[in-house]
Amino acid sequence: MTLDRRKFLHFAGTSLSAAILSGCDSRGPKGAERILRYAERKNEVLERALFRHTAIDAPPAGAKLAGNALPSYFISRTVPIWDESRQGKWHLEIGGMIDRPLRLSLEDLIAMPRSHKRVNHYCVEGWTAVEQWTGVPLRDLARLAGVHRGARYVDFESFDSGYHESWDIESAMHPQTVVAYGLDGRFLSPAYGAPARVYSPVKLGYKNTKYLTRIMFLPNRTGGYWSDRGYEWYAGV
Amino acid sequence: MVRPRNHWVVRVTHWVNFVALTILIGSGLRIFNAYPRFARRGETFCCYPWEGKRFPEELTFGGWLAGARNWHFAMMWVLVANGLVYLGFIYLHGEWRDLVPRRGFFRDALAMLKFYLFLRSDHPRQGKHNALQRGVYFILPWIGLMAVVTGIAIWKPVQLSVLTNLLGGYVWARFWHFISTVLLVALSFVHIFMVFAVDPYSLRAITTGGYNKENSPEARNARPFWNLLPRKREKVEDTNDA
Repeated sequence: MTLDRRKFLHFAGTSLSAAILSGCDSRGPKGAERILRYAERKNEVLERALFRHTAIDAPPAGAKLAGNALPSYFISRTVPIWDESRQGKWHLEIGGMIDRPLRLSLEDLIAMPRSHKRVNHYCVEGWTAVEQWTGVPLRDLARLAGVHRGARYVDFESFDSGYHESWDIESAMHPQTVVAYGLDGRFLSPAYGAPARVYSPVKLGYKNTKYLTRIMFLPNRTGGYWSDRGYEWYAGV
Repeated sequence: MVRPRNHWVVRVTHWVNFVALTILIGSGLRIFNAYPRFARRGETFCCYPWEGKRFPEELTFGGWLAGARNWHFAMMWVLVANGLVYLGFIYLHGEWRDLVPRRGFFRDALAMLKFYLFLRSDHPRQGKHNALQRGVYFILPWIGLMAVVTGIAIWKPVQLSVLTNLLGGYVWARFWHFISTVLLVALSFVHIFMVFAVDPYSLRAITTGGYNKENSPEARNARPFWNLLPRKREKVEDTNDA
């Protein structure tokens, strides 16, 4: 028992002081970084095992649309706006491991069968909002492009100072994942990602790249703006 | 070798729980501070009067939102695994008998309250723990369960929407998760206060296991801050008369 006690005291002492010390700089000890990344990987394995395409997000019937109360985040210094006179007509490119590379104009997207659904927005900060997105389901675009079997990841690129986020293909092919060009019955305004953005209730907000320019189907994950800075890469809800 | 007052499994899980909860609460407050209200965007929430007020940075853990979330999602497994070891052990090993309310709980709890309020002069008789302790030690795992279940509901509100909806949806599940923390913190403060004010000797019992029964609150007739010191041994020779 003495040995146990001594070991225990040592353990309790070190873990306590670790907790207290790290409380001081409040980020936690540097060595913990490895453990945190290990936990994130294990969590991702579990979350991907839990993931179902049949799990459909449905906001409560009485919930109000957020409308202008929806915050608009971007990383550029000012609202990113596609300048036709300088950059030419906006197109969405779809490339990578596919049979038919696509280059779609906004009109092309509008002409396709659209989804027009009220869904929840889950923000990493803890808030939710109800929004009505109009757009083309990404799985339809994938079918059109003929995605190869080996494509396990999808990267969504933007013209917002290089902002991008990559996803697992399962989440990208969820029926509620859309390339959205309309919000609450109107075309997207620049604050919310015009001309088009990816939107899905199965991912936290920061994974849903706004100001979309290119969708790449890839064999490997390519990180992302916030996931490279310490936020979870998977970020599924 | 004297039998320790608390089995080593109980002592280890107690302190692991302390560390895990401290980190979970600190990181949870940091996460809460990112959106210190409950209403959906564009709506109002009935039941939280302090909306918009953040917790002081010094009480939070993780440094920033991503750090806090990473700690929270790692430490939650420590809490769950540790909780299962503890509950499994006290069930299989019989310790649970000292940790659940007994018949006559309310009468006994009232007697303890009366004693603490000087409405009664002698400490009610008890086994390992008094009735109030039994009540709290019994309720705590349930609050822990509430924290875990509500936590899972706001972690996976789409994939586990059945659970989230059962709790009233994401907004309410997040509120109940917050409330479970408030309850945990409140009971922990009472617990820590009572340790120092009534039975500081139990600090040794929960760490090394050692405990002198003659220093128990019952033996000292101890109320908060009363009879804290060990009793003088005067009637040692009387013990055979009983």
